[in-house]
Amino acid sequence: MDDEAAADATHAKISPIPREARPYQGQRAGLVTRVIAAVLDSLVIGAVLLGGYLGLVGLIFLFNPRSFQFPDLGVVFSLAAAFVVAVVYLTVFWTLSGRTYGQHVMGLRVLGIGGRRLRITGAFLRAMFVVVVPVGIVWIPLSRNNKSLQDLVLGTRVVYDWEPRLAPAGAMEAVAGADEVS
Amino acid sequence: MKVPGLGVVSRMPGLSAVPLVVRTVTAPAVETVTSYAVVARGLLDQLLDQLIADVVGRVDVDQIVGEVDFDQVLDKLDMTQIVLTRVDLEAVVDKVLTGMDEESLSALLEKVDVNSIARRLDIDAILDQMDLTDVVLKRVDLVKVVDTVLAQLDMIALANEIIDGVDLPEIIRDSTGSMASETVKGVRMQGIGADQAVDRAIDRLLLRRTRAPGSAGS
Repeated sequence: MDDEAAADATHAKISPIPREARPYQGQRAGLVTRVIAAVLDSLVIGAVLLGGYLGLVGLIFLFNPRSFQFPDLGVVFSLAAAFVVAVVYLTVFWTLSGRTYGQHVMGLRVLGIGGRRLRITGAFLRAMFVVVVPVGIVWIPLSRNNKSLQDLVLGTRVVYDWEPRLAPAGAMEAVAGADEVS
Repeated sequence: MKVPGLGVVSRMPGLSAVPLVVRTVTAPAVETVTSYAVVARGLLDQLLDQLIADVVGRVDVDQIVGEVDFDQVLDKLDMTQIVLTRVDLEAVVDKVLTGMDEESLSALLEKVDVNSIARRLDIDAILDQMDLTDVVLKRVDLVKVVDTVLAQLDMIALANEIIDGVDLPEIIRDSTGSMASETVKGVRMQGIGADQAVDRAIDRLLLRRTRAPGSAGS
């Protein structure tokens, strides 16, 4: 057990992160990076929706090529589809890797209480909250701890984390502890 | 027997027979006187012996010796010179050393301040005269030493330190990194900078104490 901990500590010493970025690791991310990440995620979700729509169109065309028309799915259905895709997308990525594609590009990671990765329930709740109240992100610069409305309510946080994998819970807990103090 | 003046008389003309006459006349008297002298001498000898014995018997030698000031006597003597010239010092030292047992020797050594002696030694000079490299190579089990040193070293930690020192991850990134990873790094760093800029701007707007640089969110 001790050996494992020592091995982990040793492993943590070799960092693939560029020197200039190391001081920021584990700190709470600000508005700009998170907005860019959100925009990238929106593009991904849009691409998924577009892909789904094109797939549907293709299917319709296959089954009824003669009287083919681009289907009008209606605003409600489109919004519902977008909502579902967004929630599923966010939930799955936050649960599996702690970050969406947009957050991966910007070097961010979503952490739950104690610096651990979100569980599926937490990830689902946060995804719902983010999709329903996206404007909650505006709270970030107003909060002293760079917390969005969702972070404030759910106790989550978004930190700079350029590591390819999530660091051991202990390492992030130390950062979490420092956060709580300040 | 020799009579003074007889020689001169015998050489005078007509008196050559005088010595013979004189000798003949005086011979009996001379013999008598000689025998008296011998006896007197013997008596004198006896008298002197008796006298000395009497004197020795009456003198208290111990008292006389007691009254002698030996310090004064010794002061007049150069004892060092006497010892150096008359004593076989090597034999004395040999005898003393051979007569010493281990206990008395260790007692003697206890009285010697070895540290003080060692302090007086010029160790550097001694070491300069020695070929220490040769001594180590000949007398030290280098394999054992190296093994011990290596056993005490945390090789993994050392390797990590070296990797960190040469920034191996950066070298790998540089040699294999694509344009995309470089771009991602740039975008991320720009994002962090922008975050801080926004934080500072908002802090100023809200008249809050500015957060320390690099402490976004902490």
